[in-house]
Amino acid sequence: MDAFRWDRALSIARKEVRHIRRDPFTLAAGLGIPVLLVLFFGFVMDFDVRDIRLLVQDADRSRASRELLELFRASGHFDARSADPVADPAALLAREKAKAVLVIPPGFGRDRDRGVPARAQVLLDGADNSTAGVILSYVAGIQQAAARRGAGADAAEPVEVRTRFLFNPELNSRWFVVPGLAAVVIGLLAVLLTALTVAREWENGSMELLLSTPVRPLEILVGKLAPYVALGMGGVLLVYLTARFVFDVPFEGSHALFFSASFLFLGAALGQGLLISVTTRQQPLAMQLGIVTGLLPSLLLSGFVFPIESMPLFFRALTALLPVRWYMTVTRGIFLRGAGPADLWVPLTVLTAMSLALSALALKKFKTDLEP
Amino acid sequence: MNPTLVAFVRKELLQSLRDVRMRAVIFVLPVVQLTLFGLALSTEVRNIRLATDFSPLDVLSRRVAEACLATGWFVPAARGAGDPFHWVRAGGADAGMVSPRGGLARAVERGPATLQLLVDATNTIRARSIEVYFKTVLGGVLRETSPGPARASPVLLEPRVLYNPSMRTAVFLVPGVLSMILCVVTVILTSMSMAREKEMGTFETLVSAPLSNTEILLGKTLPYVLLGVADAVIVLTVAVFGFRVPMQGPVWQVLLAAVVFVFSTVAAGTLISTVARNQQQAMMGSFLFLFPAMLLSGIMFPLENMPRALGWIAYLNPLKYFVVLMRNIMLKGGDAWVVGGNLLELAALGMVLSWLAARRFHQTLN
Repeated sequence: MDAFRWDRALSIARKEVRHIRRDPFTLAAGLGIPVLLVLFFGFVMDFDVRDIRLLVQDADRSRASRELLELFRASGHFDARSADPVADPAALLAREKAKAVLVIPPGFGRDRDRGVPARAQVLLDGADNSTAGVILSYVAGIQQAAARRGAGADAAEPVEVRTRFLFNPELNSRWFVVPGLAAVVIGLLAVLLTALTVAREWENGSMELLLSTPVRPLEILVGKLAPYVALGMGGVLLVYLTARFVFDVPFEGSHALFFSASFLFLGAALGQGLLISVTTRQQPLAMQLGIVTGLLPSLLLSGFVFPIESMPLFFRALTALLPVRWYMTVTRGIFLRGAGPADLWVPLTVLTAMSLALSALALKKFKTDLEP
Repeated sequence: MNPTLVAFVRKELLQSLRDVRMRAVIFVLPVVQLTLFGLALSTEVRNIRLATDFSPLDVLSRRVAEACLATGWFVPAARGAGDPFHWVRAGGADAGMVSPRGGLARAVERGPATLQLLVDATNTIRARSIEVYFKTVLGGVLRETSPGPARASPVLLEPRVLYNPSMRTAVFLVPGVLSMILCVVTVILTSMSMAREKEMGTFETLVSAPLSNTEILLGKTLPYVLLGVADAVIVLTVAVFGFRVPMQGPVWQVLLAAVVFVFSTVAAGTLISTVARNQQQAMMGSFLFLFPAMLLSGIMFPLENMPRALGWIAYLNPLKYFVVLMRNIMLKGGDAWVVGGNLLELAALGMVLSWLAARRFHQTLN
């Protein structure tokens, strides 16, 4: 066997480029789709729950109950409407009429005026994970406001907490969503694009043809990956521009670091796709595995929405296997915190190791398959 | 029963189940994924790394810090050097508490004291919760330590989380996650099967066989409806017996919902496969359907927040209806109006999708 030759890898790459150009769908998938998805979901994804439908069952109808209601309204989070005080509040939630019901029992105002703690219940819809926790924290805020008001204007809080939200002072959801979304979208498309390349050649029988030429396995893989790396970097650039200029996400870190991290990440994602591709050799299976190992884990386990910090220890360790989980740390760190190489050396090292290991694994698997 | 159709369906089933790895993808992976996500995911904010900065003599600040750790929400951060701003900035802590110089207690005596809380707001959801948790803990400590008779708040709000009183994460997430998994498996299986025949050239053989167009279409979709419903039964069993997700409503309602849902996703998969010319396009098409479907399911973020101009898109998502149905039936016992309404909407969506798929299919054949 002779040594690795770039010209042969290049001719494989040229052939792959022709495949891509013949199928405008692939080009769109690499460049257009990431931007479209980031644009759309950047606009619609918002974790602040505004105008929560709150039904109020006020059986007391006193000054005290009106004041409490006023506190809910003043918080700006609730769209409070009064409901029939005798209806079963649980039935109102089961009918999806509201996300929460405030039940003020008779005697609420009398208790308050006598100095006995006046109790009111807030029933939350515990079937909806995306709102229950947020509503609970809003209710805690209203409780504090009620306590303050009860203490009277003269008794100021003994300790005032002055919170400084670093890196995102206005708690703009978009700054949080867009860099994460970009990582998820780019990673998924990279896996999907490559998962089919080698499987397609086996299925069409053109792999045998390719192997009978003097091209070596490594050259085939390099040649097959290179065009997708270029396509992926194009996607990264477009997504970066969208984040900066459409969503005004601040970019505090270094561009060189961001693009080299993106390059490493693409290497890992493409390596993963390639590995699936050489292992399965069948397109339906390659696709099943590509989406199954790609879509749900990168949406759910990457820390994009569900915090990794809250997972049990074993699963926190398990997420370390996902390249996108590390890239997400990098993008959020570089965009918002201005993190430098010193802060990010762990994720960067892991990404480098992953891209090398996955490609090496794919190559090894590919080579053993070729031997009779 | 039409014998040709039965034979056709059997052939399709055999073809999809022939490969051991494919059987694993269809039957084992959903269970593995449900278990994985059911155990791992949590919407709760925990393990907040708290860094503190107060003098060793400041007893009140120490009490606040200890009370924070005692709640289980906070864990101590490794103490960094220099400005607390840098601990948070370097990613070593999620929050930093900075007490006034000279001690918190003395500052309180002199008048309203200020306590600075630095929060890493790269994750906005987490940042907001950290602030609320911290204020709650601080309020508790101040009430305990304030001189004189403890003054209770005049108004007490008692929040109760219905359907999931102990806030078990599995109850929150398993009904939604099983819907997601079901959606992925059915759409991919269906969209690939027809594209594969087209690419291999066996589609022409199929067309020239003595089968009507409708028979081909049914033969290509029915097996996947069957596989999807079988999958639904498997994952539901794991959810109820493995994760102890309550099944408040009647089982037949859940099954009916699953059948209607699988019908609509198989229709979506068929539509994708009739549009796609090869498997790669079918795969991209499935991705383009699945990715928005997952995000717009109501599991990732509250759909109520969507801007009005774009909010209607969520109504085209079969997964959204199914998630509402599963939660309503399994957790709330199934309200007749909600279940009926969502089932009807889901069925209508499935009809439109299958009508579009059938039309495209006949066009391709002619």
